[in-house]
Amino acid sequence: MIASDVMDTRFHCLQPEDTIATAVRRFKATSDAEGKKIFGMMVTDSRGRLTGMLSMHDILLFIQPKHVEIWGEIEDVDPEPIFDALLERVKNIRVADIMTTELVTIKPDTHLLIIVDLMIKRHIRRLPVVDGDAVVGIVYRSDVFYHLLRRFIA
Amino acid sequence: MPIVEQRSVLTGLQVKDAMRRNVHRMAADGVIAACIRRMIKYKSNALLVNDPAGRPAGVVSRTDLMGAYYAGLPLETALADILAGVPRFCYPDDGLEDALDLMQQDGIHRLYVHGAGPAEVVGVIGFADIVGLLYRYCRFCAQSRRKAKGPDAALPRLAVRDVMSPLAAACNPNDPIEMVIEMLSSHRFGAVLVASAPGEPAGVVSKTDLMVAYLHGVPTSAAAESVMTAPVAACSAEALLAEAIQQMLLKDVQRLFITAADAPAVVGVLSLSDAARFRSGTCKACVASRMLAGV
Repeated sequence: MIASDVMDTRFHCLQPEDTIATAVRRFKATSDAEGKKIFGMMVTDSRGRLTGMLSMHDILLFIQPKHVEIWGEIEDVDPEPIFDALLERVKNIRVADIMTTELVTIKPDTHLLIIVDLMIKRHIRRLPVVDGDAVVGIVYRSDVFYHLLRRFIA
Repeated sequence: MPIVEQRSVLTGLQVKDAMRRNVHRMAADGVIAACIRRMIKYKSNALLVNDPAGRPAGVVSRTDLMGAYYAGLPLETALADILAGVPRFCYPDDGLEDALDLMQQDGIHRLYVHGAGPAEVVGVIGFADIVGLLYRYCRFCAQSRRKAKGPDAALPRLAVRDVMSPLAAACNPNDPIEMVIEMLSSHRFGAVLVASAPGEPAGVVSKTDLMVAYLHGVPTSAAAESVMTAPVAACSAEALLAEAIQQMLLKDVQRLFITAADAPAVVGVLSLSDAARFRSGTCKACVASRMLAGV
């Protein structure tokens, strides 16, 4: 019952200098390739060290307009072109600018129940597994869930 | 002497009706790079800085960061070294009119909202929040003369040209960023128009663009066009003020560049704070409709 039992070693990483458009394409391509939905990816520097995590939440937060209530109320204008123009501001933004840098990581031998505790208390859905300086895997909440509760689906 | 209280659209509204509850804070030993990232991510114009005891010690605004960029300070500089403004406070149950007056008197763009304890900050309120609330409030106002008389009633409405300011300055696409910063601070602008020929808009350099350029290590000798945002958020001088406000709120911009009715040349600028001032105290339609309705 440790992290290495459930961690996914086929992980994909983003670079800090990637654009948001690249990140979005990578989310889609990875989800398609792995056959499961990817909601967040690790960001590693040129030496492979973990520098941050970028999730769909971070990107959605960034593209969300400030006065979102007004967006829900307008009926007299077509919101599509205005939203397209809003997306233009993503152009100059890089992954490093909006990624989460306050990271919680685990080791390959971290106990699964400790991982569950971290995920519950800190509202974390995925945890990078780090061995020394190197990223060795990622543990998803769903994998922990099905591993711990597998007797009910056997 | 009797105190005459003018009734305006804002009368009866309180700070808590318009404030944002998510206040972004950082410790004074945090660095500029982290501060800029936070401001980009949350589209915030300023961060509240805490002292080691967790009490609010100051505010770092986009203007302060622009100053640090101009001075060539490294991105690893601690926020404590560039802290300039002290935060100004109001309370959740203060009137919105009083809050707006305080902002205008002191020439500040935002007020933080105090909670019960001395270190407790429960919200922040800026011009844009007030205009956003007003916009929604007026749209739903059942007492509006326009609503009463129907949408086709020929009532005078404020146009952009009544409120806008003339375009005071613009820069060329090849001007260096340091010149743009000088222009922004000497005119107290929030953004500078980049014009390829007089009045011909090519882009805009805002304080946010400069903040991003600073974070990405663009030298201040680089050309303005390398960091500008294009196309320019513009609107015609003949457009209705309400439409212009809607455009600013939807596009998340704090100003629109105003073009002449029949040409693409930029002749003026309309800021959200101009609009706030105009709408808040002098909304004649609203005051009159209240008198007619006997409220």
